[in-house]
Amino acid sequence: MSLWSSVWLTLQLAGVTTVILVVISIPLAWWLAGTASRIKPAVEALTAMPLVLPPTVLGFYLLILMSPASPVGAFWVTLTGESLTFSFSGLVIASVFYSLPFAVQPLQGAFQSVGRGMMEAAATLGASRWDAFRSVALPLSRRGVLTAAVLSFAHTVGEFGVVLMVGGNIPGQTRLISIEIYSAVETLDYASAHLLSGGLLVFSFIVLTIVYRMNGRGVWAGA
Amino acid sequence: MGGGCGQVPDLLEFSLTLRLGDFVLNAAEKIPLTGITALSGPSGSGKTTLLRAIAGLEPTVEGHVYFAGERWSGLDAGSRKIGYVFQDARLFPHLDVTENLRYGAVRRGVGPDRVDAIVKALDLRPLLRRMPTTLSGGEMQRVALGRALASGPRILLMDEPLAGLDQARKAGLMPYISRAVSEFGVPALYVSHSVEELAFLADRILRIRDGELDGWSETAPRLVGQVVQVRGNCLELAIGGVSVQVKGRGRPGETWALLLGNEYLVSTNPPGKSNAALSLQARVIEAVGENGHYVVDVEGQRVTLPWKDDERRVLPEHTALWLSIPRVLARPV
Repeated sequence: MSLWSSVWLTLQLAGVTTVILVVISIPLAWWLAGTASRIKPAVEALTAMPLVLPPTVLGFYLLILMSPASPVGAFWVTLTGESLTFSFSGLVIASVFYSLPFAVQPLQGAFQSVGRGMMEAAATLGASRWDAFRSVALPLSRRGVLTAAVLSFAHTVGEFGVVLMVGGNIPGQTRLISIEIYSAVETLDYASAHLLSGGLLVFSFIVLTIVYRMNGRGVWAGA
Repeated sequence: MGGGCGQVPDLLEFSLTLRLGDFVLNAAEKIPLTGITALSGPSGSGKTTLLRAIAGLEPTVEGHVYFAGERWSGLDAGSRKIGYVFQDARLFPHLDVTENLRYGAVRRGVGPDRVDAIVKALDLRPLLRRMPTTLSGGEMQRVALGRALASGPRILLMDEPLAGLDQARKAGLMPYISRAVSEFGVPALYVSHSVEELAFLADRILRIRDGELDGWSETAPRLVGQVVQVRGNCLELAIGGVSVQVKGRGRPGETWALLLGNEYLVSTNPPGKSNAALSLQARVIEAVGENGHYVVDVEGQRVTLPWKDDERRVLPEHTALWLSIPRVLARPV
């Protein structure tokens, strides 16, 4: 049934996107938290752009970038034999861009609150920078990492404009929950629209409650 | 460690320049690597900045640091084998006390025997399973001192470790600091502007003012005690396990220094019946060094005494002594 294939596809997309986002956001957020570089504000602004741009704008540029006519899109075709546009890989790339601020910002905040003092203490005790990051900064930021992962996942589940632009509406390949709902409403299949919309509503509420509970507990409670 | 018979102590040698906004630090000195050297000056004089520069925590510093002839400038803080005690302790809040103590020990290959000895010397055993957030300020600093010592440092750098503590906690912690230095043979550079801490802990004092070193001041030989009782113009001072009657006005709980002056007598024989006002047992912990001083332990306190020419021989470490004072002079610190 097409409903469940769209649910399954959405979960796959959100899962893959979350893993990629956490991996690339940790070094990026760490750099942003510690740097006094002049390009920092520009990098922060770039990272935050998906928060303010209409998803269609982001989707439009990504579509152009990924099309086989562009150098990036053409390179992908020679590499894999498939086009990035209207494919699952294309959706993953678009989702990574779209959800980037939801991963970077909680991580950056968590890293900043660890502070330079803890890193200095670790350094005077013989820890290398990487060792101090791994043994002090990362464990002290674990709530930030969890928040980043949960928000990235939830935000990817809820995206519509960008994925519609980049992926289109191919059942089983690019038709995600949000697009399925749109199609259902267009064909006056309100029962399916209710089922999926209600599901997303409950899902979002639960996820956000978890995030707020995680961050609302005292800083070291339950450590 | 230096400080053996006639042996020249190793030196910490530095010449450092650092600009932080309007503030300029410009300091060059050679510090003997024995006992506790205090770095003292008004707030804003640059004492903490100098300590951080020696530790390798100020990346923009220019100049050089040599530790016992070994070049430290150019090494990062982690490679300098220092033990740094921060004013705000900076214990790792996600690790319990044991894990905090082991953090540096594991990374520098210090064995569990040494960590156990530190736990014992600093009375940390009851705290081992606690999380740092459940500790009092004094306990935190004791753990921070233990953590720094457990990393096997060649020098302890302490940045006003007692500054945030009340009088009673301060008095309780100071003996641990002097004990850590004498028991583990690690020299210390101790930043403080507290007269009381300097009187109790410092073997020598280096002054700093407006980012520049302002020379050494000799600490007069003295013992430090707490007033336990007041009777009119008389005070009873507790110096370790010994109680001494001194003249003066004061309040119980105050810290007083018992000044040895220069009329004291040192002998290796029990004084027997003498006309000395006070005789105290002591033990040599550092024999005569380059500068003609030796260090004795009196009731857990380090006392640096100048070597007098009429004393016929150099007393080796661990020699038991009696220190006799003809007159008892004391003042609050």
